[in-house]
Amino acid sequence: MKALVVDDEPLARERLVSMLGDIGGIEVVAEAGDGIDALEAVERTQAELLLLDIRMPRMDGLEVARHLASFERAPAIVFCTAYDDHALAAFDANAVDYLLKPIRADRLRAAIERARRFSHDVVHTLDGPRATSRERSHLCARVRGSLVLVAVSDVDFLHAEDKYVIVRHSRGEVLIEEPLKALEKEFAGRFVRIHRNCLVALDKLAGLTRTPDGRVLARLDRIATPLEVSRRNLPALRKMVRSL
Amino acid sequence: MRQGEAVTDADKRRWLPHFCSLPTLFAVMVVAELVVVVLALAPDRFTRSSLAELGIASVFVQWLALLNAVVLCSLREVLERLSPRAGFLIAWVLAVVTTGLGSALVHAMDHALSLGLTTDAEGVLRFALGNAAICALIAAALLRYLFIRELWQERVEAAAKAQVDALQARIRPHFLFNSMNTIASLIRTRPNEAERAVEDLSDLFRAALGTRATLATLGEELDLIGHYLRIEGLRLGTRLRVECDVDAMPRDMALPALLLQPLVENAVYHGIQRMPDGGVLSILGTRNVDGIEIVVRNPYPPDAAQPGNAHALANVRARIGYHFGARGVLLVEPGRDVFSVTVRLPDESPR
Repeated sequence: MKALVVDDEPLARERLVSMLGDIGGIEVVAEAGDGIDALEAVERTQAELLLLDIRMPRMDGLEVARHLASFERAPAIVFCTAYDDHALAAFDANAVDYLLKPIRADRLRAAIERARRFSHDVVHTLDGPRATSRERSHLCARVRGSLVLVAVSDVDFLHAEDKYVIVRHSRGEVLIEEPLKALEKEFAGRFVRIHRNCLVALDKLAGLTRTPDGRVLARLDRIATPLEVSRRNLPALRKMVRSL
Repeated sequence: MRQGEAVTDADKRRWLPHFCSLPTLFAVMVVAELVVVVLALAPDRFTRSSLAELGIASVFVQWLALLNAVVLCSLREVLERLSPRAGFLIAWVLAVVTTGLGSALVHAMDHALSLGLTTDAEGVLRFALGNAAICALIAAALLRYLFIRELWQERVEAAAKAQVDALQARIRPHFLFNSMNTIASLIRTRPNEAERAVEDLSDLFRAALGTRATLATLGEELDLIGHYLRIEGLRLGTRLRVECDVDAMPRDMALPALLLQPLVENAVYHGIQRMPDGGVLSILGTRNVDGIEIVVRNPYPPDAAQPGNAHALANVRARIGYHFGARGVLLVEPGRDVFSVTVRLPDESPR
């Protein structure tokens, strides 16, 4: 079973790796020090088991689990954390087990048994990102089969087109397969709807312009072409812009 | 007028005001003068009252007031050995007796010198008793007021103390379990470092679990910070880089245990630990005329919303406020990339 050890503390990783070595049947294919490295490593190594710390820089373990839920072959996740203030959230993220540090060898062994069953059954009834959990720090897209993570703070606007959403960000654009409505709900404080098919990042909004023919356009920092504001969304948008 | 004493003498409560202190003296003199004015305004005295008489009465009453203050001031130690209730009663009796005797003395002197400032010779008893009666009423009201204020202040202080006790420095559970995990992994490969980590951790917990009234010295606090950073250094490896310059600080200065360590812990927890490549945690301590200043700086990620941060800092701020009053300062400056916390403490013994 290919395993990935994810923790921002080298000594914690060291201990886990050596314990996994004692258990046998586990091949540690990579180690990662934060959530983003972890996602990339899963993608690269096709690991089947993830031993995942929760508190990490850049992206925490809970968010890693949420992104993994959208992966085609998601690894079994075992959370390892120092203090159990995240247990519920962890199970919400479909973890197979939840271990407390310092981890006991027998608990680790039991967790791995569960993970083995999990990957054999291939129960992937994961329902994608949960509307109830906290907002993510990154959006996860695939470009030509490889993983691209876009920091939500870099996003200028989200534009729905057919069954995709175009994510326009500071370094280009990517497509994601998430409904605009769910994105609007998750990032309610960060994005504002200006049109049936468009959400704009509030902090990138530069102002509103009225064209001679009476349409209203939203200007964004860095974006050359203004975006159309629908009549329906205009009053709410005006109110929000004024309160900024 | 009482705060100053409450700070210096926490064990033995001083319930009787310090009558020799300027603010109390001033209050006594104001009350005395009010009495003179009230008496001068009384209708039956209108006919005889004049500015000169008011002046003479003022001098006399102020003299009595000061005499009372001096008596109460010099007997304060004795009175405070009694219970507040008995103490106040005796203070009241003392004031009445002092006034009566003082009045009789003045009357006698006036008569001997034939100044005619007081009543005639036969009125000595009436004069002394009258003044004593006035004093009895005024002193009863004044002492009652002071007594009630004492009780109230006691309650306020007890509430403040309870609050500070509740705020007593606690070490984050994360830190304990992460350290244990670090030690567990060191035991296999580097037993010597594991041993030292156990010693450092023990010192930290001894301080955190110590009795609440513990006063430590700045030197001990700096040592604890050192222990703490050594453990975190093991855990975070090269991500934690420390620049510490505290040599100029007076190591023997007294301060409550674990007053500064939480600031450093905060810097690691919300700053260094959340940076993928870590950063430099800088601690700069200086000594100045009024006391000490210590500045803790750390880089922090741009997206940091800091609810927990605010909580830990509010805790330290409340404790500084309790122990040092308005002379202790905690300044928080969340810069663009660097979070900076400055603490200034006066060089005086904390409450």
